[in-house]
Amino acid sequence: MTDKREAVKKLFTAKSSRVETNKGDVYYQRLYAQCKKRIEALKTLEPFGNKLELQDLLSEEGVDRRDFMKWVSATTAMLMLPSFFEPLVAEAAEVMNRVPVIWIELQDCAGNSEAFIRSDGPKVDEIILEIISLEFQETLMAAAGHQAEAQLHDAVETFKGKYLLFVEGSIPTAMNGFYGTIGPSGETFEEHLTRLSKDAAAIVAVGSCATFGGVPAAAPNPTGAKGVMDIVKGKPIINIPACPANPANMVGVILHYVLTGQIPELDSLLRPKFAFGYRIHDNCERRAHFDAGEFVEEWGDEGAKNNFCLYKMGCKGPMTFNNCSIVRYNEGVNWPIGVGRGCIGCSEPDFWDKYAYERPMADANIKAPTGGVEKTVDEFGLGVLTATAVGIGIHAAASALAGKKSDEGEK
Amino acid sequence: MKSGYKKVKRMTVTGRTIHWINAFSILAAVITGLYIAHPYYQTFIADPAVDKYVMAWNRWVHFICAIILDVTSIVIAYLYFFSRFEKPYKKLIPTGKNIKEFVEVLLNLLTLNRRKNFDSSHNDSFNIVYFTIMHLLLAWMLLTGLQLYVHGLESGLSSIGNWWPAMLHLVTDWTIPVTGGTLMDVRISHHYTMWWIVAWVMFHIYYQVWRTIYWQEGDMAIVFGGSKFKKEE
Ligand code: SF4
Ligand code: SF4
Repeated sequence: MTDKREAVKKLFTAKSSRVETNKGDVYYQRLYAQCKKRIEALKTLEPFGNKLELQDLLSEEGVDRRDFMKWVSATTAMLMLPSFFEPLVAEAAEVMNRVPVIWIELQDCAGNSEAFIRSDGPKVDEIILEIISLEFQETLMAAAGHQAEAQLHDAVETFKGKYLLFVEGSIPTAMNGFYGTIGPSGETFEEHLTRLSKDAAAIVAVGSCATFGGVPAAAPNPTGAKGVMDIVKGKPIINIPACPANPANMVGVILHYVLTGQIPELDSLLRPKFAFGYRIHDNCERRAHFDAGEFVEEWGDEGAKNNFCLYKMGCKGPMTFNNCSIVRYNEGVNWPIGVGRGCIGCSEPDFWDKYAYERPMADANIKAPTGGVEKTVDEFGLGVLTATAVGIGIHAAASALAGKKSDEGEK
Repeated sequence: MKSGYKKVKRMTVTGRTIHWINAFSILAAVITGLYIAHPYYQTFIADPAVDKYVMAWNRWVHFICAIILDVTSIVIAYLYFFSRFEKPYKKLIPTGKNIKEFVEVLLNLLTLNRRKNFDSSHNDSFNIVYFTIMHLLLAWMLLTGLQLYVHGLESGLSSIGNWWPAMLHLVTDWTIPVTGGTLMDVRISHHYTMWWIVAWVMFHIYYQVWRTIYWQEGDMAIVFGGSKFKKEE
């Protein structure tokens, strides 16, 4: 009997998209000990290529200890760790340059690289991304051509099985992949990715393009663009979608890896739950206006001036999972909804085709699921109704003309 | 009762209660659902947000109706097979007899009551097939609706326990890949299906009125009093 009850309990508490913020003391004590050991081990290693020390860099950029500790506690909370992990997180941030990172760029706009290097005063996240041992990053490095090839080759050889491979951009597959080739050898993006992922410890797909194909994969997808998880098999993959991916989440994933030696807990779309476990809508500052039925009806109207909900302007917050409503962008300065623009669901699969239209579903031109003609769901529905009404009308008129009696009678 | 007619019992009290609960729940769900999809009446912009929960009330009504429909659906599913009165599933099995009856009832409708070669005093297989389609549509609405709903409980907690969101995920997560891979597809499908249900209801009302007028057996009375009338042989 108890066995049965246990079995039922297990079935109904199966791994779902549930976000568990408290896993119990025993779990955290064990995790703490494990992290401690790992960091001690990392400390004994020489930093790889990048010899910069975090503390020096921080003070050079005018970030004092207090700012850093603030960042530490925010990041600890973001990773859903109890506050007694804070000293460990601080230590982990200092040894982040012991984990080598290779960053490749495929079919994309470099927006994710831009996201973490563009800001007027660098914030802790960005400084940390500077200190990680970035062994290879085409956009940021000085080397080019054969020289860059050689550098990549070196990095892969030296850090075989140890490096994190960050991938930005989608992978074109149409025309044998010749929409995107790289380097003097003319290797296609797909070959490039497959080759580099072979020796990676884990692959982190950054941004909407690398995760789910993003804008390049939008209909009609001429280049046959795909996300990393459709190409690479048999390796741990972490997806950090969004357009661009939030630097806080990139740092979070690296930090989690440095701290625990493992990838964070993922949801069914391989997104880390600490970042993508929550719906924008549930943490949105305009939510009270949503419940009140107060909507912006037009750009710049009274509602817009009063920060009403953007649902009728096409906000897709109710269907989008991301932590921008909590972490925000640019070190918490603001985020799309904060500036008065609805969410376009950039962290969801197929976001460009299925989320980015600028009106609520009932008001937008959505591609009919049958493909082909663009029409809204409601226009189609009205069509169904009209057809039914016409059918009924014809039948009713004919019945009235034909009279009431059945002439065959019943048998 | 008109002379020469006998009374035929067609619907139990339970059956009629369920029918009307469903009818009103669907009506309310359609009205509130249209609001949720696209808030169509303006709230007074000058009013402060305090104490005014227009969307919240619409969602509340929508969810309560959905839960009521869930429960009646379970009852209907049970009665479908185990009713002591009439077991609808028996008319669904594609036996020669049922297929013939289905075709005859359809022909009766298409020939504008020119031929009527079936026993109209009991539930016929055309009506049952029709009735089943409605309940499949409703089941689909419930599954997609609960899928959209459960994402508001992402903490995995709910006021009635953790089993509830966990169970909803277990039972409805498959609707995402089936509809096309994203939550938006589930939403579109949920919305589309509403239109089919409205069209179904339209035909249903028409057909029952039509039967009442042309068969002259008081079919309309079934859903009020539980019985219709049949000419004595
Ligand atoms: S602005 Fe968007 S996310 Fe915020 S409450 Fe409105 S619909 Fe939800
Ligand atoms: S608010 Fe929406 S569209 Fe904007 S960054 Fe966040 S997930 Fe992307």
